[in-house]
Amino acid sequence: MTDSLVAGLPTGPAPLPERAPTDWRTQAMQARIRKRYAAERRFRLLGLMAVVMSAGFLAFLLITMLINGLGGFSQTELKLRIDFPRAGLTIDPARLSGPGADFALAAAGIERATDAAANAQFGAEGYKLLSDGAWLRVRAAVKADPSLLRHAAIVPVPASDAIDLAAKSEGSPAAEAIVTRMKAQGLISTRFNPNFLTSADSTDPTMVGIWGALKGSLFTMVVTLLIAFPVGVLSALYLEEYAPKNRWTDLIEVSINNLAAVPSIIFGLLGLAVFLGTFGLPRSAALVGGLTLALMTMPVIVIAGRNAIKSVPPSIRDAALAVGASPIQVVFHHVLPLALPGILTGTIIGMARALGETAPLLMIGMRAFMVAPPDRITDPATVLPVQIFLWSDQVNRGFVEKTSAAIIVLLVFLLAMNGLAIYLRNRFETRWS
Amino acid sequence: MSAPTLLFLIAGLGLIGWLAARARAATFRRTSGARFSSLPSHHGTYVALWTLLPAMLFIAIWAFTSPALVTDRVLTVPAAQQLPPKGFERAAILSEARNLANGRGFGAFHPLSETLAPAYDEAQSRYDWIGSAVALLLAFASGAWAYLRIKAGFRARTRIERVAMLMLLAASLIAILTTIGIVVSLVFESARFFRIVPITDFLFGTHWSPQVISARDPGASLGAVPLFWGTFFIGAVIAMIVAIPFGLMSAIYLTQYAKPAVRKWMKPILEMLAGVPTVVYGYFAALTVAPAVRDFAVWIGVSWASSESALAAGLVMGVMIIPFVSSMADDSIAAVPAAMRDGSLAMGATSSETIRKVLLPAALPGVVGGVLLAISRAIGETMIVVMAASGVATLTLNPFASTTTVTKQIVDLLTGEAEFDSAKTLAAFALGLTLFVVTLILNIVALGVVKRYREAYD
Repeated sequence: MTDSLVAGLPTGPAPLPERAPTDWRTQAMQARIRKRYAAERRFRLLGLMAVVMSAGFLAFLLITMLINGLGGFSQTELKLRIDFPRAGLTIDPARLSGPGADFALAAAGIERATDAAANAQFGAEGYKLLSDGAWLRVRAAVKADPSLLRHAAIVPVPASDAIDLAAKSEGSPAAEAIVTRMKAQGLISTRFNPNFLTSADSTDPTMVGIWGALKGSLFTMVVTLLIAFPVGVLSALYLEEYAPKNRWTDLIEVSINNLAAVPSIIFGLLGLAVFLGTFGLPRSAALVGGLTLALMTMPVIVIAGRNAIKSVPPSIRDAALAVGASPIQVVFHHVLPLALPGILTGTIIGMARALGETAPLLMIGMRAFMVAPPDRITDPATVLPVQIFLWSDQVNRGFVEKTSAAIIVLLVFLLAMNGLAIYLRNRFETRWS
Repeated sequence: MSAPTLLFLIAGLGLIGWLAARARAATFRRTSGARFSSLPSHHGTYVALWTLLPAMLFIAIWAFTSPALVTDRVLTVPAAQQLPPKGFERAAILSEARNLANGRGFGAFHPLSETLAPAYDEAQSRYDWIGSAVALLLAFASGAWAYLRIKAGFRARTRIERVAMLMLLAASLIAILTTIGIVVSLVFESARFFRIVPITDFLFGTHWSPQVISARDPGASLGAVPLFWGTFFIGAVIAMIVAIPFGLMSAIYLTQYAKPAVRKWMKPILEMLAGVPTVVYGYFAALTVAPAVRDFAVWIGVSWASSESALAAGLVMGVMIIPFVSSMADDSIAAVPAAMRDGSLAMGATSSETIRKVLLPAALPGVVGGVLLAISRAIGETMIVVMAASGVATLTLNPFASTTTVTKQIVDLLTGEAEFDSAKTLAAFALGLTLFVVTLILNIVALGVVKRYREAYD
């Protein structure tokens, strides 16, 4: 090792002094190895802990929402006995069907009769045990079956907020005592609350529902998709397939990448200043919300679209050009269909982000209190995340479970969208090799 | 004529043009027997485009100009003489009259608007008819002109393709327009703000209380330093103390140690953390984390702990950022050449020694770039701080004290009942401009760092 084997070649540097080989069996070396292995195990454990704890945060969040929110889907009902013939209702049975029925019944004194029946059945302050909207249920029952008016009947009506919470064992001791007594008499029951999915916002937590917000979200998403998808796909095609390399296209590229990283609240300020201030579009409308979110989602679609288009191999383009297709035909007949699954995946992910977005919509006033679902995209509307935000601000304790229940609905939608994106990616992913 | 009817009619004209032109082109083909560069359907599309596009363009322009024309006409009726001169009341009466004429609104607040409503109705329907007639005429004329141009050998395809190209270009220009829109609106509104409040007061003042702005010296209560500090403290200090160790260690474990099956499951689970809407995090922070933090503070002996502490907002924000840091770290560790890792392992170093002494130092610029991007995202994050941080601006180092942030103040300033011109509302745009500039700089620096680093190993 020390001398060159071939004569004449220069020898290496001066030989190192002989060193005894490391004796791995000595106490010192063994201790050192143990120490290094222990450090290795510690490090590995730290990494595992980081992963487990991060996943733990997520699990904790989801479980908290589930525990808080499942109660929101159910409703406590009281069996209210109403003696209709004696309630002094002034109802003309002929008017119980047709468009004027609600109005006629409201004027007939059903609310008073309901409260009186509650007082008769549950004591002097009995009407306080009922939800403010209990009479609406009585009205619906009478409308559905006018024969009720001829005899005394038992109508299940929603219980008040305090009773509802007590029945789910979260209420005050006094309310829980009442609930225990009623349970013994078989007057109280808790069942699934379809009202939560079908009605709109209200000031009374026992009457609220998410349908208004869900419809607003739907309208907003439709506007967002109709604008962001075509614009995003077309600009991705332009940048990837045709754009010459010059200062203009550089500018376009930089602004798209930059827009993808701009805080969402800035888009809200843009929507407020431009769509509401300059163009005078209607405030709080799904149209403006959708436009604002479209500007936010478009860069995501462009970036995903460019990656999908880039992965279509050049041989496809060359083959199409070789048989005489024009550049436009190459792209629209060959490249775009092949890139579409990738673009769709990116679009769904972008839409999922837009669906969960709140801050920009607060800026353009989509936080109005709306008791009716919107019918047009120019109507004042609210969306699901904003509804969650508005309910979270309510002091009334009954809103806690409603907020968490709305969060469960939102998360289910998001999971479904992300699941669809993953499915699309796995189903249509093409490997060009 | 209502808008849907008009659009329907124009679309119908377009369809007729398409069918007619296609039929005509087909006869050329049959009679001459030659093959042309364009198919009959290309001719059809050419005529349809000429029918639709000019009319649509006119409708778009008309939609923006006709309201002004309508108002001008309403102002000529005798009743309009009683309108107050320029100002808020005049605009209010006019818009009320417009709502009455359109059947919206809940009755007249001002008697004059009721007298003006019929004039509005009349003017609106008049201009509606003018607009509809011109649009239809335009659609027919341009469509007919295009139809007459069609003859054998006419290159319709190249012309359609030119239009398609223009549409592609227009679509990609929208990104620039959006950027310009953001910059112009922020700068314009901020300029109005800085005419009221000196920029130095805003940038260096240490007292922030927008609820009581004195008319004589509005700058005295609009010093944004406490907001900048609160944003930095929550987003760049507390959130990063959570996000960097967890994100980095997760990335290291998942790339270096975890079995493929574990990685396949854990990576999407961590990514779900980034997919949870921020309003959900905010609710979680306000409902669960903030009380827990306060209880903890009381337990360790801080008697005045706030339930809207910087710590609660920062902790939850940190959790939200974990997957972001983790994926950036993942990318930059993966970019380190395998030879460096293999060399270290061959020398007898353990995996953890390789990671700490070889991989991490080599990946450091990428990791730093990722952290900068994460900070940029954290300081722009809104809902968590809106729901979990307090509205009181304080300069404090204590994580249990309450602090506020720029984004929270923007939301507070703009969701109150204030008119569009007050210093209070305009302050939100100045804050927005600051936020935009800071995040822009952070993003540029971060991307620059990441890019330079990536080139080093290629």
